[in-house]
Amino acid sequence: MNDADSRLQRLLKTAAQAPADEPVSAPFGFDTRVVAVWRAGHGNGGLNGVVRLIRRVVVLAAFLILVSGAAAFHEYQATRDIVEPGNNEFAIADSAIQSEFDQ
Amino acid sequence: MSEPDLRDLVRAALANDDEAARQLVQHLYPLVAKIVRSHRPRRTSEEDLCQMIFIKVFRNLSSFSGQVPLEHWVSRIAVNSCLNQIASEKVRPEIRYADLSEDEAAIIDHLASSSEDLNPDQRFAARELVEHLLDTLKPADRLVIDLLYLQGRSVNEVRELTGWSAPLVKVRAFRARQKMKQHFEKLSRKENR
Repeated sequence: MNDADSRLQRLLKTAAQAPADEPVSAPFGFDTRVVAVWRAGHGNGGLNGVVRLIRRVVVLAAFLILVSGAAAFHEYQATRDIVEPGNNEFAIADSAIQSEFDQ
Repeated sequence: MSEPDLRDLVRAALANDDEAARQLVQHLYPLVAKIVRSHRPRRTSEEDLCQMIFIKVFRNLSSFSGQVPLEHWVSRIAVNSCLNQIASEKVRPEIRYADLSEDEAAIIDHLASSSEDLNPDQRFAARELVEHLLDTLKPADRLVIDLLYLQGRSVNEVRELTGWSAPLVKVRAFRARQKMKQHFEKLSRKENR
């Protein structure tokens, strides 16, 4: 161990003997404040609120897309149901006219 | 408070029992405050940092598996939070002989002129001087010196507290000590006074 090492070692040894002032208890109201902040969900400052807002917007948007998709599909099916009987009627009329001409 | 009692409090706190949560804070506060006092960055208040750590603890409480004692788990969160906070305060001041107090300067002179140990009366000034030297180091270096040499913890304890491997603890301790020695030598040189 060289001289500088020895000096540093002696310094650290003495410094380690300094008694650390032990904190006895939390400051008044600290526990209530921590629990309140935790329950309010603001532990991460404003960022946490923004993230939750964005998450809600995304969920709501996905729900709206699903509902409007389902409605569009339902509308399409209903339109097809209306159009298809008409097509059949035209086909029957065409077939009747055709058979009339054939005679 | 025994470990099973603490786990009961954790369960109750997670089940929205505010009283249990407050009891957890009161029980863990001395432990967290001690870590914060040892590793607090200069520009953050002790109470703010303690609050930040407790919020982090509670936010992650549901992921506490119970495989390690609660106090170890909380200690690790506290140590990492302090390291992150120190790292965010990038400024590491240069220490000069002229900035030292009279007592701190006397310690430098005593160590340079004598091979005897310092007087026990000088322990507070020695502690101040070491803290000045620690301020010049990187957060991880500062932490390892504090845990090993000032708190007198074993490599194994440091490993548990930081999550570093034992060889990493030893390598970091060696490098940190070398850096600290360089600053100390610079401070001790007569031409720098």
